[in-house]
Amino acid sequence: MEKNIKKYFPAFVLPTFISFTVVFLIPFFMGIYLSFTEFTTVESATWIGFENYIRAFTKDENFLNALWFTIKFTVVSVITINIFAFSLALLLTKALKGTTFFRTVFFMPNLIGGIVLGYIWNLLINAILGVFGFDITYDADYGFWGLVFLLNWQLIGYMMVIYIAGLQNVPRDLKEAAKIDGASSFSILRNITIPMVMPSVTICLFLTLTNSFKLFDQNLALTGGAPARETSMLALDIYNTFYGRIGWQGVGQAKAVVFFLIVAIIAFVQLKITGRKEVES
Amino acid sequence: MASITLNNIKKTYEDGVTVIENLNLEIKDKEFIILVGPSGCGKSTTLRMIAGLEEISDGELKIGDKIVNNVSPKDRDIAMVFQSYALYPHMSVYKNMAFGLKNRKVPKEEIDKKVMAAAKMLDIESYLNRKPRALSGGQRQRVALGRAMVREPSVFLLDEPLSNLDAKLRTEMRSRISMLHKQLGTTFVYVTHDQTEAMTMGDRIVVMKDGVVQQFDTPQMLYNHPKNMFVAGFIGSPQMNFIDCMVKRKGENYFLSFGNYEIVLPNRMNDYLVMYDNKEVVFGVRPEDLSIVKGKDEVNSFDLYVDIAEMTGADYYLYGTFNDKKIIANVPSNNNIKSDKKYKFKIDIDRIHIFDKINERLICD
Repeated sequence: MEKNIKKYFPAFVLPTFISFTVVFLIPFFMGIYLSFTEFTTVESATWIGFENYIRAFTKDENFLNALWFTIKFTVVSVITINIFAFSLALLLTKALKGTTFFRTVFFMPNLIGGIVLGYIWNLLINAILGVFGFDITYDADYGFWGLVFLLNWQLIGYMMVIYIAGLQNVPRDLKEAAKIDGASSFSILRNITIPMVMPSVTICLFLTLTNSFKLFDQNLALTGGAPARETSMLALDIYNTFYGRIGWQGVGQAKAVVFFLIVAIIAFVQLKITGRKEVES
Repeated sequence: MASITLNNIKKTYEDGVTVIENLNLEIKDKEFIILVGPSGCGKSTTLRMIAGLEEISDGELKIGDKIVNNVSPKDRDIAMVFQSYALYPHMSVYKNMAFGLKNRKVPKEEIDKKVMAAAKMLDIESYLNRKPRALSGGQRQRVALGRAMVREPSVFLLDEPLSNLDAKLRTEMRSRISMLHKQLGTTFVYVTHDQTEAMTMGDRIVVMKDGVVQQFDTPQMLYNHPKNMFVAGFIGSPQMNFIDCMVKRKGENYFLSFGNYEIVLPNRMNDYLVMYDNKEVVFGVRPEDLSIVKGKDEVNSFDLYVDIAEMTGADYYLYGTFNDKKIIANVPSNNNIKSDKKYKFKIDIDRIHIFDKINERLICD
């Protein structure tokens, strides 16, 4: 039986392998190759070595600004989203009335597309700031906090659902044993609940980290990078470099490769660190 | 000093379901008390109320002289061992045992001393650095006991602590817990649904059914003088045989008549049976109080067709049906017995129990 299945192994794997190669592997390696070339179309690429990378870091200050802005944004978003989502999950796993209703309500923003959210919050924030005579593009700080608020609003519900699943899996006996052992509510949270929901923490940190770092459509719709590209995040900066500047396609591509490496390294390190803290019962 | 007093304790859940109705218990200091009963009888709820993990709807709970209804679990001077062990999976055995002491701000050296002493007593010294997942069921159970011990509480609460262990380990842990009780000299309250555990470990046993205490007595009294049919049937394995019969009087003597048989009752029962003359009752006899006899005219005996004969080693368990009721007899294995054969069984009338058929209470034994 097992031998027969092994015989047909290529037949089962081939469709997935072909699709994966065509839509992922080829474009991915092609992209890396193009980052070392000067090109306008894929056919017209000329090899120029690391020139694009050098230009990205030395001749385009927007890139470093965008990188710094993205890092700041990611740090703040990851912390706020996870704290709020975890707190809400804690609240909504208590035996209170209306918890199911609130879980649904908090999850709903996640169902709206990012670009739509961006425009809606652009209108809302500008309506409020308009009272004081300016709008979200007046200062980069407004754009920064606007983006943080928007992504919080969008992702808290989603992360909350993951935390709720984790919290519901913490055995009641453990908390009761800790209670009898003299632990305070805070001590139970710190010493029992959080270590027990580490798998959820790992997933939520990974999702918020990558979502924050890769944020594009909300950035485009809310601030469009204004004022003066100060609120442009990495993805938007790459997009603008690639489509907005003639002859800079290769640089855009090089930025994309750097972007990929940063996201991959951060995600890998984070998974390693939090994964180590997960508990096997 | 840690006696436990439950006065008119009632437990009603939010949905209005009452699981404990008017529970009264007086547990003495240093006693080993077993709460036993079938699933849903309220034994675990009672234990959890003593622990403070379940609110008391009405009544008064005292540990020592102090009313503890509104005292939090940590301030009741109790320790609890859970059915699931409830060991913290992310902490080592040492940290599991030290957690309670750390919360109480006990100095590090003292924690170390207490953990090492408990570990030595329970034979788990070599596992102190392991995580619970690397331990077997029996080892985990010992760690759970150790975690409770290091706190030196006045009361130990144990909620079906052996139910996840295999039969051999259960027997071993049973004696270990009994030894522990002797060594520690504190009050133990132990919940189980296993009557063998109850009989072998407890100083006194609380038999519960549907949230009501059926009998609170020593194992000997429960076995020899059960107060009702439930206790009689629940305590003892195999369980007591119950046979419907009629009380009859001939001169000074009372008889029990069932089928074509009659048994003469001892005169000491006469006073209790006056009201039951010509009335139906149930008599109960334990399997070991039936013995096989050969003579045709043996008094106080009846014929039983044995369907199955189980040899357990020292004994035979003989299963048959009499008047549509299953009957079990326990006879020594030196009898040469075969299944699918009729035998005459003599009833030890000094060991029978007569119950009221309607309220199932004991009339006399």
